Amino acid sequence: MSPSGLVLCASLILVAGGPGADEHVLAGAHAFREARYAEALVEFRVAQALGSRESGDYAGATLVKLERPLEAIEAFGGLDGPDRDALTDYYRAVAAHDARLYLAADRLLAAVGDRSGPKIAEQAAQLRERIAAALAGAPAPAAIDWYLAQCAEERDLGRAILSRAYCREAAAQALRRSDHYRLAEAQAGATGARP
Amino acid sequence: MIPALLALVLAAGDPCAPVDVAASSDPATATLYRRAGEAERAAGSRETAIVAFREAAALDPADVVSRQALGALCAEGVPPGAPDAFAEGQRRMSAGDLKGAAESFAGARRAGDRSAALLEGVCRYRLGDDVAAQAALGEAEAAPEHRDLARFYLGLLALRGGRSAQASALFDASAASPGVATMAATLSRLARRDGSLVIGFEARTGVDTNVSLASHGGSTSASGGGMMGGGSMGSSGAFMNGDGLYDLALSALWRPLGPSGPYLRGIGSVRRYFKLDGYDLAAGEAAAGWQWARAGHGLLGEYAFGDQRFGGAPYLTAHRLLGTGWVGTGDWTWSAAYVARLEDYATAYQPFTGVVQRAEVKAAWTFQPQAWAALRYGYTHDAAHVGIASYDEQGPRVELHAVFTPTFRAGLEAGLAWRQYAAFDATLGLKRSDAALDGALLFEWDLGTAWTLRAALEGREVRSSAPSASYSKLLPTLGIAWTKGL
Repeated sequence: MSPSGLVLCASLILVAGGPGADEHVLAGAHAFREARYAEALVEFRVAQALGSRESGDYAGATLVKLERPLEAIEAFGGLDGPDRDALTDYYRAVAAHDARLYLAADRLLAAVGDRSGPKIAEQAAQLRERIAAALAGAPAPAAIDWYLAQCAEERDLGRAILSRAYCREAAAQALRRSDHYRLAEAQAGATGARP
Repeated sequence: MIPALLALVLAAGDPCAPVDVAASSDPATATLYRRAGEAERAAGSRETAIVAFREAAALDPADVVSRQALGALCAEGVPPGAPDAFAEGQRRMSAGDLKGAAESFAGARRAGDRSAALLEGVCRYRLGDDVAAQAALGEAEAAPEHRDLARFYLGLLALRGGRSAQASALFDASAASPGVATMAATLSRLARRDGSLVIGFEARTGVDTNVSLASHGGSTSASGGGMMGGGSMGSSGAFMNGDGLYDLALSALWRPLGPSGPYLRGIGSVRRYFKLDGYDLAAGEAAAGWQWARAGHGLLGEYAFGDQRFGGAPYLTAHRLLGTGWVGTGDWTWSAAYVARLEDYATAYQPFTGVVQRAEVKAAWTFQPQAWAALRYGYTHDAAHVGIASYDEQGPRVELHAVFTPTFRAGLEAGLAWRQYAAFDATLGLKRSDAALDGALLFEWDLGTAWTLRAALEGREVRSSAPSASYSKLLPTLGIAWTKGL
């Protein structure tokens, strides 16, 4: 198990929710620690159903491990911030990166380094390097078109959090171009309006 | 005891092993697991759904729904394609489903398959998803066996993004691979000649066998013939109309946002004949346009103003509007263009003043990685002020181009055009119609990153219902061009 997983487990044990949910949070943490992510996710989902608010983030981290970044972002409740603990923000950044929301990932990672341990800080730095390579130069209009298409597609699927995340990314990418290509549409979509 | 423990261990490793009922039934919690299982099943996550339904069935022996769902999921086995996302990606890519292929390759890439990363990058590039393509190809570049091809496609991404210097470096780096060496070298040179600002200069010399377009029979009339014909040079035939010439041209193109976006373009050129200086031509054109280019398709709109001088005297000013669009489907590119040109001739040529419109469709087929053929068909309507100068013209043109080595290219073009004039020409005593055959053979040798040697042989044969307007000519030329991207 990775050091980041151990830290997550420790934090899970410390902040487990109320009666009923606790045992599922702990069972999920146990499964997560042993890299049994499917079982961990099921336990966190049950804990959520029993009222554990923190379990959303834990489910999100588990979904990142299961390589389901879009669902992870939904489970995290979005990519605002950084406004969580460093480890959760790191997992949110990984989910964002895997969903190609590079600027959102970079924003979260930028705040991770100062608040986390050396291992997470190192992983965050490595991920930021990969993102910097992917973001070399101004984005092509086709890239912004793609983000806006994802925004519309997720909105049509009823996944508002993801839809807004893609439109925000489109807006942030548009600002990197001197012509602010489709910026107004992206900003409208980021507020929940139809782009 | 040991067999029992062994059975437990084996069962723990098999999610579809028989469910052990919990010591105490808990239907309420079982319901939560069942709901989690249903949500996971709906999300397409078979493994997680099985875990959840197993828990539900264990906590509530009466939970028939969970047991049935568990049985169904276990009976499904592994979904087709799931164990080999790479093979599924290849299958989808072959079927033309680039988006589906990219998703499949992405799954394999996340599992560490660099071959999948390369193919995902290729699919994303072709889909126009440049950011994702960059990320996937970046991963593929880390694999020595894929490095050259990954860099080649990264070069294409850079070229499309207007980063010509980076593109050129990537093409150079990828040229070590025999599979892409020729193409990479060609593209590297093109990238060096690309950029936000592209300036060019060309000088060429040659022989025009029939400067005044004298007729086959040695008539003194020029191409217009009849009332609108020139013939002022008083030549006694095509043989006497031959002359040497030289051309000089200077051009500039500024695209501040790269290939996709607004642009300004300017060109100035002169043609001088060694003896027949009455046919010297000088031209200048300034244009502003916008190109919207995506992967495999695009649109372009342009306005241009041009001014020409003929024989040292004012000849023609023109405003031109151009609209064109293209779309690629596999090895084919389909395009259409429309041009409207508002021509204002100098006093001596006033009857030709009017509006010329041309529409053209074109299909181009890349039948080899470095060779393509094209067929186009155009229709022109010239609405000149005077009816006998107005005409309609239409005809096809075929093109064949090939890159033979990184520094040598050749092309062959031929076209037919039928022109029908609008009004009866009293001087000729007929309503004129022409048929024209055009041909061109082109060769290019790159002498360096900026210099290109060009040789061409162009020819034209016109057969007219008015004998005095029939003519033929050849124009062999040799030139050198310099192009630099900044």
